[in-house]
Amino acid sequence: MRILAICSVLIALMPGPATAQVPRLPDGHPDLQGLWIKSAGGFQGLFVGSLEGTNFAAPAVGRGAGDGRGGRGAGRGAGGGPPAGLGGFPPPQYEYTPEAEAEKRDRQQRRGYEDPEAHCHLPGVPRGLEQPAGLYPVQIIQDEKYVALLHEYVHDVRIIPTDNSAHPKTYWAWDGDSRGRWEGDTFVVDVTNFNGRTWLDMAGNFVDQNEHVVERFTLTDPDTIVYEATITDPTVFTKPVQERFTLRRVPKEQQILEYSCLEGERSLQHYTDEDGGKKRRAR
Amino acid sequence: MRSPRAPGPALRSATLAAAVVMTTLTVAAQTARTAPSTYVPPRLSDGKTPDFRGIWQVRDTPYVNIEGHPAEKGIAAARSIVIDPADGKIPYKPEALARKQENYRARATSDPSLKCYQAGVPRATYLPSPLQILQSPGNLAIVYQENHAFRVFQPETRPHFDSADWWMGDTRYRWDGDVLVADVVALTDELWLDQAGNYHSADVHVFERYTMTTADTIQYEARLEDSNVYSRPWTLRTFLQRVKQAGARIIEDECLEDANGVRHHISPSDPRSLLKTDLSRRKKP
Repeated sequence: MRILAICSVLIALMPGPATAQVPRLPDGHPDLQGLWIKSAGGFQGLFVGSLEGTNFAAPAVGRGAGDGRGGRGAGRGAGGGPPAGLGGFPPPQYEYTPEAEAEKRDRQQRRGYEDPEAHCHLPGVPRGLEQPAGLYPVQIIQDEKYVALLHEYVHDVRIIPTDNSAHPKTYWAWDGDSRGRWEGDTFVVDVTNFNGRTWLDMAGNFVDQNEHVVERFTLTDPDTIVYEATITDPTVFTKPVQERFTLRRVPKEQQILEYSCLEGERSLQHYTDEDGGKKRRAR
Repeated sequence: MRSPRAPGPALRSATLAAAVVMTTLTVAAQTARTAPSTYVPPRLSDGKTPDFRGIWQVRDTPYVNIEGHPAEKGIAAARSIVIDPADGKIPYKPEALARKQENYRARATSDPSLKCYQAGVPRATYLPSPLQILQSPGNLAIVYQENHAFRVFQPETRPHFDSADWWMGDTRYRWDGDVLVADVVALTDELWLDQAGNYHSADVHVFERYTMTTADTIQYEARLEDSNVYSRPWTLRTFLQRVKQAGARIIEDECLEDANGVRHHISPSDPRSLLKTDLSRRKKP
């Protein structure tokens, strides 16, 4: 009886489930592992057609590929946006300082080919996860010390320690430096130390070296992670940018593949109608 | 090599005598067989799966030339890591050897790694940069620092995805006791095996064995089968050492292109990787 009583006390002390029953690791934290794919929400801009403010794949009635669960077979190459209102997550709103607004407009209208993604560079945070819905999955592997995100897209890797340790002082990276911690059942990641080169999307939205991101991963049911990111950058934005979307579990019979981005990226001409960026290389 | 348990006094002199013989025979013995490791690795949280987690790096220089190389500035001479055939030479077919020699002559410009491509298997293992093994019960992946390449090891029960042409291939694995056994297909023929132009075709099949021989050492073996290029299968062996510095971690490795279109690795600890955007100096449209 006594042992039973102790057990129940231990169970009571474990982080309480926020919502439905979710799988857990032996350490009591939600088990985020598996293969996931973004299903809806967030920025959807895909092509040059979206650059003049008409968001090409913005939620619109009658478009899209079902409920986003079609997985990769349905999602890949389909190019359709999600159906209206799925997930109920509004697209992010960017409020720039006047100088940054002019810079954003210049990038959007004239310098699209400078987008680092067109040059095979790492997408940064949160853009690594913020790829068009249904295109590229992310494999999560987790233990007591790390949550690792292995993105199919340009084999982008983030190995995030869960000890909330301090950011380094002399380190500037495309993906910045990530330090995580558990707040109850939510995995919270603080990301700084960006190298000031990343764009947030293909439409010229950008950040500089002062970007700071707080990400929140919440497993709301065994097959759904709600992802939230708050981006602050005092030299670019007048108020924080909020992103929110869901990751859905990819069926077990599918696996992560390889996405290599090499020189001679053939998508470059999609970024500009001038010269495909051939004459003016980005950096 | 495994470290034997301390023998009793009666055995000690015999062991010493044997040690002299062993030293001279070490190379031959390594070539002839794989000594079974007596080291028992720790386990993951399931109490069953061997725990290979950590940051590891090959400290020798097979990345220069797996068949061995003379000393260069800053690099000591090294023997071949090819253990089979016994002569340490890759058993190329005659026409394949000619292409290898052509590669060697053009190595200063033709090595695919100069373009910051992923290194492939087994080359990624013995690069002069670390790798990290990520594991949890039922999951295994290796992240290589160079060019942020990674491989997700899929269980052997799943058929190979081989209708592709990849830099890091398609990997299946199982546990043979405490040995991690993997096989890899779907590697592209644009890969080299080292800086000396050793190569394989797109039909290569790589069989890997990872054996933890001490708490801080993994013996790595790869057998390559490729009848387009080699007259018979061959095997290389090298050793991964645990990186034990406190706070060590895989850092971001990304190539930047300079004004001449040449790509360079820039450390994220190098201030040149930081681009300070001074918005007020930008021309307004």
